[in-house]
Amino acid sequence: MSEESQSHLLPYARRPDFKVGRATELTGSDRRFYRFLEIVPGALSWSALIGVILASIYFPFWAAYFIIAFAIYWVLKTIFLSYHVRYNWKRLKHHMQLDWQMLVSALPYQKFHHLIIFPYYSEPVEVLEEALRGLTAAKYDLKKMIVVLAAEERAGEGAVAQGHAMQEKYGHMFGHFLVSAHPADIPGELAGKGSNTHHALHQVHTEIIAANNIPNEDIITSIFDVDTVIYPDYFNCLMWHFLNSEHPYKSAFQPVPLFNNNLWEAPALSRVMAMSSTFWQMIMQERPDKSATFSSHSVSYQALYEIGYGQANVVSEDSRIYWNLLIANDGVFDIVPLSYPISMDATIAPTFFGTIKNIYKQHRRWTYGVENWVYITFHFTKNKNIPLKKRLAIAALQGEGYWSLVTNPIMLFILGWAPIFLGTREFHETVLSYELPIMVRNLLIIAMIGLVISSIISLSLTPPRPEKYSRFKYVVMVLQWIMVPITMIIFSALPGLDAQTRLMFGRYMGFWVTPKRVK
Amino acid sequence: MPTEPQIKLLSYRKRQSFFFLLLAIFLVTLPIFIFYTSGYRLSFENEETTIVTTGGIYITTNNLDVDVYLDEVQVDRPRLFRSAYYIQNIENGVHRLVVQGNGLQTWVKELPVDPYIVTEVAAFNMPVEPQIRPIPEYRNATGVGVFIESSTSTNLFAKGTTTEPFLVTTTTATGTLTANTEFDFVMSLFTEMASSTAASSTLVDRIETQLEQFRFATSSVPVASTTEAFIERNNMRIVLRENELYARWVGSENTVPHYFCVFDAATSTLATRYGEHVALQVDTQRLSTTTPLWFANTRACRSEIKLDRKWQTVDSFFFFPDVNDLVILKLEDGLYVTEIDDRAWQNTQKIYEGDDFEVVVTDDNIYVEEDGRYFELLTTIEADN
Repeated sequence: MSEESQSHLLPYARRPDFKVGRATELTGSDRRFYRFLEIVPGALSWSALIGVILASIYFPFWAAYFIIAFAIYWVLKTIFLSYHVRYNWKRLKHHMQLDWQMLVSALPYQKFHHLIIFPYYSEPVEVLEEALRGLTAAKYDLKKMIVVLAAEERAGEGAVAQGHAMQEKYGHMFGHFLVSAHPADIPGELAGKGSNTHHALHQVHTEIIAANNIPNEDIITSIFDVDTVIYPDYFNCLMWHFLNSEHPYKSAFQPVPLFNNNLWEAPALSRVMAMSSTFWQMIMQERPDKSATFSSHSVSYQALYEIGYGQANVVSEDSRIYWNLLIANDGVFDIVPLSYPISMDATIAPTFFGTIKNIYKQHRRWTYGVENWVYITFHFTKNKNIPLKKRLAIAALQGEGYWSLVTNPIMLFILGWAPIFLGTREFHETVLSYELPIMVRNLLIIAMIGLVISSIISLSLTPPRPEKYSRFKYVVMVLQWIMVPITMIIFSALPGLDAQTRLMFGRYMGFWVTPKRVK
Repeated sequence: MPTEPQIKLLSYRKRQSFFFLLLAIFLVTLPIFIFYTSGYRLSFENEETTIVTTGGIYITTNNLDVDVYLDEVQVDRPRLFRSAYYIQNIENGVHRLVVQGNGLQTWVKELPVDPYIVTEVAAFNMPVEPQIRPIPEYRNATGVGVFIESSTSTNLFAKGTTTEPFLVTTTTATGTLTANTEFDFVMSLFTEMASSTAASSTLVDRIETQLEQFRFATSSVPVASTTEAFIERNNMRIVLRENELYARWVGSENTVPHYFCVFDAATSTLATRYGEHVALQVDTQRLSTTTPLWFANTRACRSEIKLDRKWQTVDSFFFFPDVNDLVILKLEDGLYVTEIDDRAWQNTQKIYEGDDFEVVVTDDNIYVEEDGRYFELLTTIEADN
């Protein structure tokens, strides 16, 4: 890239390794260090799991004490997180009741444009239409919206044609409308949502922003998964938060994703996973200093422009863009939680086993976000302008998050019993050996009480019941939460371990498009 | 009208405070929970609050429909379909366990309980009234068993309760009947046993010969010896030596059944805890070179345990179906089940009376032949009886 073409970039974003995706893209000691970092998460997770097994065999008493401590920790963690969910639920409901249009009307918001990008692959046209219909229902001036349907050429001509059909139907309603087509097989890119968005941002800059002399500072970009259906006040809420932020151009704005577009059609497993993901995002809404962007989110266009629109060579592009922004801005980049929902699809498939497979693959892709830990740790050793305390805190917190995601459910629900089966004879004869499963079971039951809160909150976030479903389904929607211990292992721990192991062995993952289906 | 949302983001201070509160709870509860699971309890006896150390008893039963008593107090039943009881909070000392049930013989044992340790024990309760499942030679069209006898008396199995209906006929015309294949199988077991033992003069000889014949049935490995014979299953060997029976563990020391081992202590202590016979046996084996005592941490493990034969001559012996810890003994006045576990004493329960019958035990069943009739002896009482 020429110096001129890099002039708009922040200094750190001009580094050749700024957009590194994997160790093989580096050379020399950097490559070796990056590769080492890729090994660390998987190695730590496997060490913990194998460690518990070995401790159960050779040091069963210590393993038992550790498991008791871990079970207590789990109960307290559940209480801690439930507290956040409950608080955010209150805030979410409050935000949904507010008249954001009125609130924002007192602020100088008129000059701002909203660039809305929907990257898509081969999703049914109904999904695109549902998303656009959501936009048209917004309580916001549609003429201030620049809508981009970002198609993939590799999905075939039909996909691009679908975009043009939508443009034909809805284009006139918005200020600007663009259908971009991301060429296949661009060297250095990883086929997926990230590279598609990256290409679309370049194209919209040339064809609309620069062509119409719209100042970058006056554009707020929303990168939405194609199944995103906004609530009517989304842009008012976004605008209010933007204009009331301490650093509006150094902030990303995160809504709460509710995977409820098709919640009534989805099987119980899918509903539990969808709601669990929502709950996690609700927790993160109340601790923005510990979070990153996830899925659909919004950010100033200028901020994206200053980092060259993020990376086109990673799987977990939704979070990576935040880490790009944080590192390029020397640690000064915030997450502003909107506590306002957007609707998305729960993962489903035509068959039950297809659904299980899709959920597993989707969560493997999400948990492959561990590649971001490698990225930030690598750059934290390079960018000394970020305060050391902040670098250490973020790296430790993110690392612990990925580690506990994989290890905690397995240790708690499976390896918690290991000393009983693997321990020495001396251990088996003790009261400790007999009391351990009783104690762990009781603590887990207490922890499960948190699920009652989950079921109540999830019911309140469920869309109105279609007539074709009986009221009995509400009962199922409450009882479905008893599956959580299983879903935590099958759809969190195992895909996470799978992803970390792949990264550890350098078997890098590609982007897997979650099939979207609207009945 | 409000100009901003009324509910603010959860403040960092609140989050931190809550975090530290939970951290404090963690630090306080962790040692309490560890001490509790290790056996420490608070005692409020004598108007004083003290910390006491407790142990436990883990008892399994072969019958679901029994009651367990510890020191004359009934223990709460475990969850449905569970036959194991874990009794917590037992103070140091010797405790009396009783397991009984309707129509079942009572099992009683006194066992020492130590702090932090769980004493394991397996109880068994055989039916008071023998439970007999007749094995007729024929079945009629509806599947009911038919015995061909010289009289029509239906009192063929007077010593017990039969668990299946059967018919008795004097007619030898069997054209309308179907041959019972189980009868043929059981008869073949007894025929082979009889032919192989005909020439054997002593029990040792007979056992050796029988075991060779019934290897498939007993899962035993016979070994020839001039002084002893044994049967063996899953590393447990029952040895007949000089008209006495012994149980010997021949597996690895790590897997020795718990009742072979006692706490290594002075003879008087052992006698108090487990009975004088155990103390004597430990003392004997401590000096023995053929059956030496071996040690694992604080435990002294015996090489073999002598079985109770009720001062009678042993006619034959078998492993109890599916259980290694119980032995079936055919003695002079009947068929008995005895446990190898000799702590306190060995419970021995008679399961069939008499001296003129033959027995064959397979891995799953006890078959008896008496007065030319075959039947299976059941060791539990069926629910519909």
